[in-house]
Amino acid sequence: MTVNTGRITTMTALLGLGALALTSCGSGDGSGDAGAAEPADSETTESEAAESETTDSDTTDSDTTETEGGEDAASGSLTIWADANRAEVLTDVAEDFESDTGITVEIVQQDFEEIRDQFVSQVPTGEGPDIAVGAHDWLGVLVNNGVVAPVELGDAAAEFEEIAVDAWTYEGQTYGLPYSIENIALLRNTELAPEAPADFEEMIQMGEEAGTEYPFLVGLDPNESDPYHLYPFQTSFGAPVFGTAEDGSYDPSQLSMAEAGGEEFAGWLAEQGEAGVLNLNIDGDLALESFNDGNSPFFLTGPWNVTGAQDAGIDVAVDPIPAAGDQDAQPFAGVQGFFLSSQSENVLAASNFLINYVGTAEVQTALYETGGRAPALTESFEQALSEDEIVAGFGEVGAEAVPMPAIPEMGAVWDDWGSSQAAIIKGDGDPVELWQKMSQDISSAID
Amino acid sequence: MAQSLRTATHRTPRPGPAEPPSVSRRTPTRRRPFRRWFSQTGWRHLVGIAVVIFAAFPLVYVFSASLNPGGTLITANTLFGNLSLRSYVDLFNLPRQPFAAWYVNTLFIGFSASAGSVMLGALAAYAFSRMRFTGRRFGLITILLVQMFPQLLAMVAIFLLMLSIGEIFPAIGLNSQIGLIMVYLGGALGVNTYLMYGFFNTIPVSIDEAARIDGAGHARIFFTIILPLVSPILAVVALLSLVATLSEFVIASVLLRDPEKQTLAVGLYQFISQETSQNWSIFAAGAVLAAIIPVALFLGLQRYIVSGLVAGSVK
Amino acid sequence: MRPLTTTRTEDRTADRRRARRTAETAGIGWKLLLLKITVLGLLNAVCVYAAMVLFFNERWLIGTLVVVSGALLTWIYFQRGALPAKYLAPGVVFLLIFQVFVIFYSGYVAFTNYGTGHNSTKDHAIHAIMLQTQDRVPDSPTYQLTVIERSGELGFAVTTEDGEVLLGSAEAPLEAAPGAVVQDGRVIEVPDHEVLSFAELVDRQQELTSLSVPLSEDPNAGALRTQDGQRAYVYTSRFVYDESADTLTNTASGEIYTDGGEGAFVTPDGAEVMPGWRVNVGLENFVRAVTEESIRGPLLYVTAWTFGFAFLSVATTFVMGLFLAVVFNDARMKSRKYYRLVMILPYAFPGFLSALVWAGMMNQEFGFINNVLFGGASIPWLSDPWLAKLSILIVNLWLGFPYMFLVCTGALQSIPEELTEAAQMDGARPFQAFRQIKFPLLLVSIAPLLISSFAFNFNNFNLVYMLTGGGPRDIEAGINVGSTDILISMVYKVAFVGSQSDYGLASAFSILIFFIVGTISVIAFRRTRALEELN
Repeated sequence: MTVNTGRITTMTALLGLGALALTSCGSGDGSGDAGAAEPADSETTESEAAESETTDSDTTDSDTTETEGGEDAASGSLTIWADANRAEVLTDVAEDFESDTGITVEIVQQDFEEIRDQFVSQVPTGEGPDIAVGAHDWLGVLVNNGVVAPVELGDAAAEFEEIAVDAWTYEGQTYGLPYSIENIALLRNTELAPEAPADFEEMIQMGEEAGTEYPFLVGLDPNESDPYHLYPFQTSFGAPVFGTAEDGSYDPSQLSMAEAGGEEFAGWLAEQGEAGVLNLNIDGDLALESFNDGNSPFFLTGPWNVTGAQDAGIDVAVDPIPAAGDQDAQPFAGVQGFFLSSQSENVLAASNFLINYVGTAEVQTALYETGGRAPALTESFEQALSEDEIVAGFGEVGAEAVPMPAIPEMGAVWDDWGSSQAAIIKGDGDPVELWQKMSQDISSAID
Repeated sequence: MAQSLRTATHRTPRPGPAEPPSVSRRTPTRRRPFRRWFSQTGWRHLVGIAVVIFAAFPLVYVFSASLNPGGTLITANTLFGNLSLRSYVDLFNLPRQPFAAWYVNTLFIGFSASAGSVMLGALAAYAFSRMRFTGRRFGLITILLVQMFPQLLAMVAIFLLMLSIGEIFPAIGLNSQIGLIMVYLGGALGVNTYLMYGFFNTIPVSIDEAARIDGAGHARIFFTIILPLVSPILAVVALLSLVATLSEFVIASVLLRDPEKQTLAVGLYQFISQETSQNWSIFAAGAVLAAIIPVALFLGLQRYIVSGLVAGSVK
Repeated sequence: MRPLTTTRTEDRTADRRRARRTAETAGIGWKLLLLKITVLGLLNAVCVYAAMVLFFNERWLIGTLVVVSGALLTWIYFQRGALPAKYLAPGVVFLLIFQVFVIFYSGYVAFTNYGTGHNSTKDHAIHAIMLQTQDRVPDSPTYQLTVIERSGELGFAVTTEDGEVLLGSAEAPLEAAPGAVVQDGRVIEVPDHEVLSFAELVDRQQELTSLSVPLSEDPNAGALRTQDGQRAYVYTSRFVYDESADTLTNTASGEIYTDGGEGAFVTPDGAEVMPGWRVNVGLENFVRAVTEESIRGPLLYVTAWTFGFAFLSVATTFVMGLFLAVVFNDARMKSRKYYRLVMILPYAFPGFLSALVWAGMMNQEFGFINNVLFGGASIPWLSDPWLAKLSILIVNLWLGFPYMFLVCTGALQSIPEELTEAAQMDGARPFQAFRQIKFPLLLVSIAPLLISSFAFNFNNFNLVYMLTGGGPRDIEAGINVGSTDILISMVYKVAFVGSQSDYGLASAFSILIFFIVGTISVIAFRRTRALEELN
């Protein structure tokens, strides 16, 4: 069901895109500023007044010592778009920020999946927020639409996990303050399989020995497979999607998966499909349910499914993803973060809020605790790692991970990639030919 | 809605017989031979049972999922394997997802939009049915054609429009339920008008004429004589617009931003829209509760929808 | 208003009627009149206010429209004639604002390049380009910043890593500031300058964040800029915008980008800087709509299926809805209320949920349909090209029959029972009586609905997209079009590839599809005219 939901999400996001600036046809002047500068009703003034008195006492954060106190509290305001989970944590941070600076913060709750498209369409109208929550792989679209502004992390950049900052860097600029890293790993039912498998074959063997219905589970889609979840196996054949440029970022002009490793992977997909190990009819929901019912010792998935499995009484361990080829299995990493609108008129307040408040260990840990994904700030990351085996397990796998590409053409790439994988797994033709066909289609989509 | 219809009926100057004679005449005797019973109504039950299975089955899944906290939607082989009301309880105890507020909002928006649509549609249908004016045919076809525009891109325009309206009248612009109702009323003239128009046409003009001879003005004829006579179709249209409003998701999600102001469709959708934190069971519970609204309305309106009122009074 | 039929009797009573009407108006009419005046007064007040705001913002066209429509509405309700207008106006107002506007707006977008990379004005684009191309000089230090002011002009006072204090402003490059007082590595006092508090910074944040203080006289050395007012970094600009010439110059290569007229800055050899902005592109989108390779290839096939899908959807739902309406329209039948209640359930459930449930039930290996109904068969409901078509029709039947059932029930109610009875007494069998008497009458009110249902299904994007996503895709085709794709979903795939969107192209397609559906419908209306005139 995963892909189906993805489908509704993209659809509604695109349908519900909000709008563009018809500023060209309406008024070019005036209306824009009014919209962005005063986004909210002033219900907050009361609390603000109350808080400004408390501000005289020293603020907790040394970086904001310029705040002189209550007598001349700043009058700005910030609008932040966040999804429900983030909104909760941010509310506390926002209160601190308000009492420290006098700047009011309005948090608008939005559906995570819709933020990207809403942001792209609303920022030009002046209705957009100053800050929004998002995933790093949106960057290509956001940058190409000119709706995001770079965030200079400065020295703070070094305090984050490297992959987090790398992921939020697009064409040489850092566009956001990262807060969490997520990647998939192998969940193991310790009752059914006491040891972590060394490689794919061993895992299947262990799965068969366990005598469960399935040796191994991964959620796929009958028509679109799931290249994201199968990516670690692909990389284990030495077939990353793109080559890397000198600065370590992806170079979309080199489609590395079109090379020999990719074809080898295609052959492997066909074999596994034939053997029934990869089953397109098991979608994400079914896989989850089967794993929770104890029908398989192994489940390739992300941290989001761990709680469900634990609730179902499964004793879960997180293992590295076993390689199918002769190289390491590297999953994709997704990095969530906060980004800044290019039309924001409150850049100073916004970047202060991000760097000096959201970037603190306290907040990053709080965000981790509600979201369950490894924090991006190294300090919080290590703390989480030491406190929680599950996070540590995912974090260890995440150390091998590579950021998902953020180029705007990825949408088209996923389409071709997925449907070709599905065809190969189903056995609809020669795997190598299908793979080559796919590579050609993707190359022409990118150019 | 139901209430106003009912009172309107009582004010009808020429009410139909309490029970339409055509119906009472055919009321079956208690003991019919099986064969006769079967050929008259028995087979209808067979059809009914078949349809009920077809209609309800997928929804049984949903209901089953709502009783299985933490479960997924595709629990095909273990229907009702677990019976727990936890999802229903949870539903009302989520701090960031104010389900009760959504419910109230939905009722307010749904009933306002539906009542407004019925009113606007009935006014127009009356004009089309009873009056002859230039552009009548053209107008009738146009209101249907307008609805045929592919709505794929409508949101862009509607958002923009509400943005501009909100700059002048913030109370009816973005993030306002009144604004949303107004957008829904934009669709009041359309298929439903046509439906009513057809029904209005079946009411003999002689009724209007008689009333006019009695000295009634056009407004009085319309409100006190015609409307009660067409109540079956008003009820149908009210139900249709209510259901359309209830399940409308795209416009509402873009226009209403505060969680406190959102509707059920938008709010519930959040439970499953995030791939990583889908909560099918709570979503299913919410959907089940949401479906109560149209079902209750249908129950309330059913006797208007299938009242035989017209058959009884128009001859 | 002209009465429908004029008879002699009426002629004679005309005078009496008029007299009576006047009396009636005089009697109870004043309350109504008062109401009317109040409502119209409010309406006019709203219009005048809106128009004032609009004129104040120099939005002349919309302002004038508001004034004109306000006046028109007042006129409609304050004069005696134009009765149809009185009844139509309320609905038409909403229709015009919220529906017709959408069509015209899409029409307008169809002539622009609006889409990814071209979604705003040129000013916004330039602003964004300048923001996104400020490159921090690699390995340059962080400067602890204090913002200072002299005679209204902002300046930077920074400390370097080795403790030196530097001052500068937009006009004056950084230079040593001997008299400054430093505390904890940050300047707290500068002679002749005022140090700004955080609150003051926030008040002037736009000025501050666009301030750039040159490092030295050499412009290539870069400039200090700040985002948060506490730290400054050295940046170089990749581009310089020359306002008078309207060109962007790449500072490194010296290449000049000009406004190529297509909504982006381009070099003579065609390299573009993103983002661009919205411009009118004339008929380009329409040309692309008919020449685009990914459309032309499968066009015939997809069009055929679109018609087939729309027609079959209407036919199946109508036949089933009508059949059920007739079956349950028998007063002798007990408990039909409950059947009816269950039957509207599919209609009452959120559509996307239904599609998900059906997709699950149609799972080839685990779905209920294969597992239970077909005893473990492995029927590829959603992944075989033909079965997927059938599945879509089945699901659409499930989703759509309650509507047809309701509508037919409503319509059947309007047909006097006596007609059938009379026919039956004349010896016609029930089915015959129905077919010859009720059915034609029913069609009178239902036919337009069928046509509009056809149009709806013609564009039934949601169902196709959620159930099969248009799939199964023909992997050999090289084009992302599947065997259940209808025109609108194919358009969607072409105009919104992945995360790229091309609203201009999509709007052009919308207009074209609208013309197709509209034409078919108008023809269909003409053909049903005979039916309609029965009355």
